[in-house]
Amino acid sequence: MIDFIVNGTTASTDVAPDTALLWVLREHLGLTGTKYGCGAGMCGACTVHVDGAPTYACLTAVGDVAGRAVTTIEGLTAGGGHPLQRAWIGEQVPQCGYCQSGQIMRAAALLAENPAPTRDEIRDYMSANLCRCGTYNRIVRAVQRAAREA
Amino acid sequence: MPRDSEFAAPTRRQFLAGAGALTFLVGGDGLIGVARAAPPDEMAFAPNAWLRITADDVITIVFPSTEMGQGSSTALPLILAEELHADWSRVRIEQLDSDDRAFGNPMFGGVLYTAGSTGVYGYFDTLRKSGAQARQMLKQLAATHWSVDIGSVTAVKSSVVHPVSGRRLSYGQIAALPLDLPAVPEVGARDLTPRHAYRFIGRDVRRRDVPAKSDGGERYAIDVRVPGMVYAAVLRAPVEGETPLNIDDAATRGVPGVLRTVVLPDGLAVVAERLEAALAGRERLNVAWSAAAPARAFDSDADLAAYAEAAADLDRAGTTWRAEGDADAALAGADRVLTADYRSDYAYHAQMEPMAAVASVDADGRGAEVWAGTQTQTWTMRTATDVLDTTPDRVRLHMMTMGGSFGRRTALTQEYVRDALLTSKAVGRPVKVVWTREDDIRHGWFRPAAAQHLRAGLTADGRLAGWHHRVATPSVIAYFNPLRWEQVDPSDIISMRGAESKFYAIDDLLAEHVITERHARLAPWRAIGASYTSFAAEAFMDELATAAGQDPIAFRHRLLGHNPRGRRLLDKVADMAAWSRPRDGTGLGVAFAGYGDSMAAGIAEVALDRDSGRISVPRFWAAVDAGLIVSPDNTDAQVEGGIVYGLSSALTERITIAAGEVEQSNFYDYEIMRANEVPEIEIHIEVSDGPPTGVGELGTPMTAAAVANAFHALTGRRLRHMPFTPDRVLAALA
Repeated sequence: MIDFIVNGTTASTDVAPDTALLWVLREHLGLTGTKYGCGAGMCGACTVHVDGAPTYACLTAVGDVAGRAVTTIEGLTAGGGHPLQRAWIGEQVPQCGYCQSGQIMRAAALLAENPAPTRDEIRDYMSANLCRCGTYNRIVRAVQRAAREA
Repeated sequence: MPRDSEFAAPTRRQFLAGAGALTFLVGGDGLIGVARAAPPDEMAFAPNAWLRITADDVITIVFPSTEMGQGSSTALPLILAEELHADWSRVRIEQLDSDDRAFGNPMFGGVLYTAGSTGVYGYFDTLRKSGAQARQMLKQLAATHWSVDIGSVTAVKSSVVHPVSGRRLSYGQIAALPLDLPAVPEVGARDLTPRHAYRFIGRDVRRRDVPAKSDGGERYAIDVRVPGMVYAAVLRAPVEGETPLNIDDAATRGVPGVLRTVVLPDGLAVVAERLEAALAGRERLNVAWSAAAPARAFDSDADLAAYAEAAADLDRAGTTWRAEGDADAALAGADRVLTADYRSDYAYHAQMEPMAAVASVDADGRGAEVWAGTQTQTWTMRTATDVLDTTPDRVRLHMMTMGGSFGRRTALTQEYVRDALLTSKAVGRPVKVVWTREDDIRHGWFRPAAAQHLRAGLTADGRLAGWHHRVATPSVIAYFNPLRWEQVDPSDIISMRGAESKFYAIDDLLAEHVITERHARLAPWRAIGASYTSFAAEAFMDELATAAGQDPIAFRHRLLGHNPRGRRLLDKVADMAAWSRPRDGTGLGVAFAGYGDSMAAGIAEVALDRDSGRISVPRFWAAVDAGLIVSPDNTDAQVEGGIVYGLSSALTERITIAAGEVEQSNFYDYEIMRANEVPEIEIHIEVSDGPPTGVGELGTPMTAAAVANAFHALTGRRLRHMPFTPDRVLAALA
């Protein structure tokens, strides 16, 4: 058994340690807010935090997070009212929405290390995450809004 | 259409269940009936119940399309709510989960099909009329109850009020009144809310789907989990048409959790208790495939060369797409004739959610519950009934929100749905089929490669005289929907849209489709043909302007004498970009295109790294006119998204095929635009008097030509092969 913390609660899984954290979160624990996009660390749809650091759940073996703290979009804040989520609604960012959990988790990591990023810093940091609907400029505005209103 | 008698005498059970509720039935031209409503699971007698009002003042409006990010799941119910004078905060939106043609899009002959930017366009009139009729009926019921004239009551925010007496009844209270239901009233233009009085339309009511898409709560097909569900990973034939000659699945069966393999029409499913086991089991399959399929000869370079030859061979007849006047005669009489050839490669949708579907086939194998995200209830239902050899009443569909689609999930036969059904039937359990990104690219259905040959004449004083546009590309419809092709052959709007160049006044014009052999799986792709026909037409227009010694905007202006809306857009975008101000180190290029009846003028600013050949687009300006706008903010988002999609295609996106196999496999070799590459985008939305004509694809067609034309402004060289990859840029500069 592998034990780790997910959104503040201990989770146990009996899968092989090399199983992708993404499949454990989504298919075993039912935390489907974290998305599969590429399985190769190229799109960022699966971004979660491991001990606070933005991490591709698709490339992370569940054995490597044993005893560590994983935060998913479902656990970003207790009530879903994180400044970024409010800003995402305020700027009406999502279209299809599929990439947005990963975008928000990536943005949360950015604001944790840099509470007042410039536009270029946001663009560079967020370029790890793909959005095929083309919401990038709204994402930048929403991150700026969250930084202002946090 | 239901018969009146079906509503006149509900059963006692239906009556009790429906006490205090009204259900309004909508046809292609407004309301067709009203009934005391039963709950939705007992509504078989009233299948086209678009609108329900219950005693608790909840108004339920059915969303007849499907949602892939375009926002019509908010926009369509909003239109009905506007005319109903509804309290929007009490409106509940319900996804249509069946192939009920009573809800069909009038633009598609009643087929439930979400494509072509037609949601608002197609449903606008009937939704407005229905809302107005339902409002009239609610007013009539209240007036009857109060014994006053209907002319003395008004409807305000889900209530009918009688100002003289100060009385008020909410719509829910009216629904519960024990009165005979009035006949559906005739309503005319005067009964509809005038535009200046709209409370929702044009006012940026927020999208209903945004909160759940901001907290991980939205559920897509790939997220569905049902009790007892197992997983399938499909090893698909490496080349279209090949079949497995020998299957060695011993190692696969040795993977803990793997249940079995199932042979499918174009592949082999590995079914397992867990997704990771299905994927690991697939890795261990050892299959000897046949090697005789004609598709082994598919080669994208050879295809495009053959298409280019066909386009330029004027002796090879094409199918007329549009003809005005006599193009040949005008060209023969011109002072000069210019010709140019343009090419574009296969392109992949790259929607963020790979193909996925869940099916739970009934024990008798003749019915199923299906969870899928597709652009069409009609063809998804058909896929299911075909696969199970059954009737629609045995199929319970759940149309899931899609993680993007852009045309990908439109086909007559949907292979991901089919595979889920066949696998579930084989193993007797619910099955989730999940494609990896590699599956999604290698087995994608692409925008076709195309070669285009353009000829146009110029008079001595620099006016356009004769326009001949030949597009050599396969028929997309013939492949993705052969049933439809039987009806429209040889006219293929998916392959040809945009080549009609209809926004310009060109007296002598011939646009032809040279239908070439299909050498890849093909599907509609955002903006369909216009993503490449408008590239060629608008890049060529720039070449003509240059040859005529005229400013590209002034040259286009002269072709828009009859089109004041178009002229306004060009002037506006020129202002926005400060078109006449010289740039230092960058170039500006303009394009005027559109989609359907919506028009767009765009200007790209292009920068170039001459060493690497890499183009960047730091700024893009657009002015668009799509008639009436339901949501300005969502229009801005859709047009911006369409621009990013088009720029991404213009700069990097390219599928290549060798020996029948797609050579790309993930986002490292099929690169789409990222956050640090996206331009600053400024969009002006011109609100005109016309009907709403659609915004989902409007941003895309203008982009590639604007970039190519800006590149010419910067370098004096032409880019005629999309995408404008660094090697092609360096070749153009050499």
